[in-house]
Amino acid sequence: MAKYTLKRVAQGLITVLIVATIVFLLMRMLPTDYYFSEEQLMKLTEEQKNDQLRAAGLLDPIIVQLARFYRNILTLNFGTSRRIQSGVSVVKLIGTKFAVSMRLGAISLCISVVVGVLLGILQTVQKDHLGDHIVTAYTIFVNAVPHLVSYSLVLVFGALVLGFPATYSSRNNTALSCVLPVTCLCLTSIAGYALWTRRYMVDELNKDYIRLAKVKGLSNSQIMTRHVLRNAFVPLAQYLPQSFLLTISGSLLVERFFSVPGMGPLLTDAISRYDLDVVQTLVILYASLGVLGVFLGDVLMMLIDPRITLTGKGDTR
Amino acid sequence: MITRRDFLKTAAIGGTGLAAMGLVGCSSSDSSSSTTESTSSESSSTESTSSESSSSEETTTSASTNPITDYVDYQTTANEMEEFVIHHSQQAKDLQVLVNMISSLVASDSNGNLVSSIAETWEANDDATVWTFHLRDDVTWVDVNGNEMAQLTAWDFVAGLEWVLNAAKNGAANVSMPEEMLEGAEEYYNLTAEMDTTEAAALAWNNDTFLDTVGITVEDDYTLVYTMKASKPYFDTVCTYACMFPIAPDLVSSMTAEEYLAIGNTTMWYCGPYIMTEYIQGNEKILEANSSWFGLDTNTTFNSVTIKMVDSADVAWTLYQAGEIDRCTLSESILATITEGTEYYDYLCESRPAKYSYQFYFNYHRHDDDGNPDDNWNKAAANEAFRLSWYYGLDLINYYKRTNAVNPLKCENNFFTMKGLVSTSDGKDYTDLVAEGLDLKDYDGENMRRLNPELAEQYKEEAIEELTAQGVTFPVEINYFIPAGNQTSLDSANVLADCFSASLGDDYVTLNIGTYVSSMNQEVRNLKRGGMYGSGWGADYGDPVNFLSQYVVESDNAYYSEYYTLINDFYGEDAAEPYNQELIDTFSEFSEMVWEADAISDDLDARYQGFAEAEIFMLKHGLTIPSYYDITWQLTKSNDYSKANSLYGIYGNYYYVNWETNTDGYTTADYAEFEAAAN
Repeated sequence: MAKYTLKRVAQGLITVLIVATIVFLLMRMLPTDYYFSEEQLMKLTEEQKNDQLRAAGLLDPIIVQLARFYRNILTLNFGTSRRIQSGVSVVKLIGTKFAVSMRLGAISLCISVVVGVLLGILQTVQKDHLGDHIVTAYTIFVNAVPHLVSYSLVLVFGALVLGFPATYSSRNNTALSCVLPVTCLCLTSIAGYALWTRRYMVDELNKDYIRLAKVKGLSNSQIMTRHVLRNAFVPLAQYLPQSFLLTISGSLLVERFFSVPGMGPLLTDAISRYDLDVVQTLVILYASLGVLGVFLGDVLMMLIDPRITLTGKGDTR
Repeated sequence: MITRRDFLKTAAIGGTGLAAMGLVGCSSSDSSSSTTESTSSESSSTESTSSESSSSEETTTSASTNPITDYVDYQTTANEMEEFVIHHSQQAKDLQVLVNMISSLVASDSNGNLVSSIAETWEANDDATVWTFHLRDDVTWVDVNGNEMAQLTAWDFVAGLEWVLNAAKNGAANVSMPEEMLEGAEEYYNLTAEMDTTEAAALAWNNDTFLDTVGITVEDDYTLVYTMKASKPYFDTVCTYACMFPIAPDLVSSMTAEEYLAIGNTTMWYCGPYIMTEYIQGNEKILEANSSWFGLDTNTTFNSVTIKMVDSADVAWTLYQAGEIDRCTLSESILATITEGTEYYDYLCESRPAKYSYQFYFNYHRHDDDGNPDDNWNKAAANEAFRLSWYYGLDLINYYKRTNAVNPLKCENNFFTMKGLVSTSDGKDYTDLVAEGLDLKDYDGENMRRLNPELAEQYKEEAIEELTAQGVTFPVEINYFIPAGNQTSLDSANVLADCFSASLGDDYVTLNIGTYVSSMNQEVRNLKRGGMYGSGWGADYGDPVNFLSQYVVESDNAYYSEYYTLINDFYGEDAAEPYNQELIDTFSEFSEMVWEADAISDDLDARYQGFAEAEIFMLKHGLTIPSYYDITWQLTKSNDYSKANSLYGIYGNYYYVNWETNTDGYTTADYAEFEAAAN
C-alpha cells in the first residue's frame, strides 16, 4: 500500500506540474495588453505600459519567467493578486473564499447524497410505478431546464413567497441565507445521485446472487439493504472524496446568482482579468485536489468492497 | 409623445413575465461603456467661496417624510471594486466607493456646483496660473475603528501629489492631468521613471527634488498653492478628481510603496464621510458614518450604507421586491412587466441623466480581419456627404427605447459635450451655444430634432455618386462590435441595425454585428477592426476642452483620435490618401479652432463661445454622430435630485451625502416634481 501511495503521489505531482506549466505558458501567449485594465489602456502611453510590464517581469525571456515560477512554487510563494483584489496575497485571497464555498458545498453534498440515494432506492423499489415516474420526471426536468431558469424560479419563489433572504449574508441570518443557494446546488446533484443509484441497484437486482438470496428466504428489505444497496453504492462511493474536495472550488453560477463570496467565479474572473498569480495558484490547487480526490476514491472503494485491491496483479486500476 | 401609461399598456400585451425571472441580461445603465467618472458644473469663475456650499441642501422641493437611516444599495458583480488606493485606481467602480471614504479640497453639490470641502475658500490670481486653497483646520484622519490617527494639513496634498507623480509608486496611473497642468510635474514624473525603480519608490513624499521641482507650495499648514504651467481657469474643478486627493504622510511613510498599494479597508485611513467597516468581495460592503468627519455640521449622512453585490439588474429587481435593497434600475423587459394596476406602477421613477455623452465614432482607418486596410469603408467614412446622410437621416428613436422605453426622446443627444458641463456668465448652458449654430428643430415629442429626411436623401445621392466614382461598392458594410454572450447588447445592436435599415436603406449601408470575447481594446480596436464604435465620455474636469481635446489631431492625449477614429494615422509624411485629404483638412481646421479657444483664458464667455464654434464645425461636418444620453427607469427610495450631480471628477450618484430618502419609496409624481424643480 505504501509503495502504491508513493507511486500515486509521484504521478500526481507530475500531473500537477504539467498542468501548471501548460497554464503558465498559455497565459504568457496572450498579448501583454491583457495585463492592463481597459481604463489603463486608455490612459497609459506605450512607454508607461512597458515600464509596468518590465517591473512585473513579463518582458523577461519565457524560460526565465518559467524558472522563477518553479522557484516560487517550491518556496510556496504564490504571489499577489493584481486585479481581483489589488496587492493582496493570493493565499489570503483564496483563504477568505474557500471556507464559504466548502461550507455550502459540503452541506449540499450531504443533502444530495442522502436524498439522492434514498430517491434512487425508492425508484428501484417502485420500479415502473408512480414513485419511479415522479423521480424520473424530476430528474429529466432539472437536467433539461437551463440552470439559470431553475435558479431564477428558486430565487423568486424562495424570496418572494417563502421569505428567505435572496442573497447570501455572512452577518445576518447566515443559516437562512444559505437555504436558497444550497437548494440550487442540491437540485441537480440530487437528481444525479438518484439516477445512478437506481441504475446500479437495478443492475444488481438482475444478478444471479439476488435470485439465490430470494430462494434462501431473505426478505426484500434484507436483500435491498445488505446486498443490492451495498454493491450499488461502491461505484458511487468512488467519486465522493473528489466531490467533497472539489466543493472548495464552489459553483460559478450559484455563487454569482446569490452573491456568495466564494471560489466559484474566481478562476474565470482571474483569467478574464489576466490576474496571473491567482490563475496559476488556482490551477495548481484544483489539479492537486483532483488528483487527491481520485486517489482517495480508490482507497474508499477498496475499503467498502474488500474484493477490490489496488496493488494486486497488474498493479491495479 | 408616448406616455408612460401608453407604453406600459402596450407592453403588457406582450406579457413578458419571464423577464421577472431573470432571463434577460443587465440593464443598459449597467452595461453601458463608460470611460471616466465625472460631469460638469457651472464653475470656473476664478474665485469661489464656501458660501456656495449651502446650496447643496436646498436643491429638492419636498422633504422626506420617512427618511432612511440605514440605506441598502446595490451594484452588479461586474462592478465590484478592486483596490483601495484612490490615487492609483482609474476605474469608476473603485472611485465611486472611495470618494465616500476620503474627502478632497472641493466637492460637488446637487446642482453641479463646486462646493467647499476640505478647502473652505479658494481663489486664483488674475491669469489663473496660481491657485490658492485655504484649508479647514479640523480635518482628521481616522482608522477603521474610528480612532483619530493624525491631523490633515496642506502637506497631505503634497504627499498625495508626490505619490501620483512618482512613476515607481503609482505606475503612471492618473498622472496625465497634473502632468499636463502643473509646473514641474512632467519633469518630476520623467525623473522618477528614469531612476532605478527601487530608488524612486524609496523617495520620501517630501523629498527636496519634488518640492523644488513641482508647482505645489505649502504656505502654512492650512494654505496650499498650486502653480500652473499656463493659465487654467478651471483648475478648481480638477481638484474633484482622484489625482488631487490627499494621502496621510504618516501612513504612507510607514510602509513600502508595494505595501501601500495593497492597503484595504482595515488598513487605510479615512477622512471622508464614511468608514468601510466590512468588505466581503462579491457579497457586500458596509460603510458606517465617520463620526469625526468635518462635514457633519453642514451635511447629512446615513448611519450606514450597505452595498450588496448582485448578479444582474434582474436579481436586483427581485431583491427590491423582497425589501432587501432600496433602489433598482429597471431593464426594458422588467419595465414592461410593471403594468397599470400592479403594485409598483405608481412608483416608476425616471432617473436623472447620467453624466456621459454617447457618440457613434467613425474609424477612418479600418482594417479587415486579415490586417489589410478596408478601402471600401475608409473611402465612405472619409466622404462628408456619406457622414452627413447619417447625421440628418439616422432615426434612432427605437434605439433610444432600449434605454428609455417610456420617453425615448429624452435620450436624444445632439452634442458632443455633455449638457450641463459649464454655463456662461448669464447662465446659458454651453450646449445651448452649440445648439444656436445647428439646424435643430423644436422639440415636438415625436421626432428627433436634427432629422431632416430631405437633406439626408440629398446627401445620400451625393455620396453614392461621389463614392461610386471612387470605386466604392454599395451597400457599405458597417462593422460594429459588441461583447459576446451579452444578450442585452445583441438586442440593442439588432435594433440599431433596424434603425440603419429603416432610415438609410439596405441598398446604402448594412450593419454587421461582430463580437469580442473579453476585451474591446485587444480584440477590436488595437486591430482596427471596427468601422463604427459607440462610446460615452464623461469629463474629468469642468471645461469643454476636456471633451473636445479628445478629438483633436496629432495629440497623444486625444483619446478618440488615438484609439477610435485613428485619424492620427494619416498625419505625417505621405500618410494621407488621396481620398481623405479633405477629411484631414477638416480635422486640422477643427483642431485649430479648439486650441484657439483654449488659448482664451481671461474671458470665460469668449472661451466657451470659441469651443462652441469648434463643436458646431465638428458636428456640421459629421465628424461624429451624437447618439444618446443614459436616462433609465427605476424603483427607488432615494431622490436623485438630492444627490451630488457632478458632471466631472469622481463625485457622482454614489456619494452618499445629503441624500433625501423615503422608506415608502418615491412615486412617479414625486419625481416629476423633483425634475421640474431642478430645471
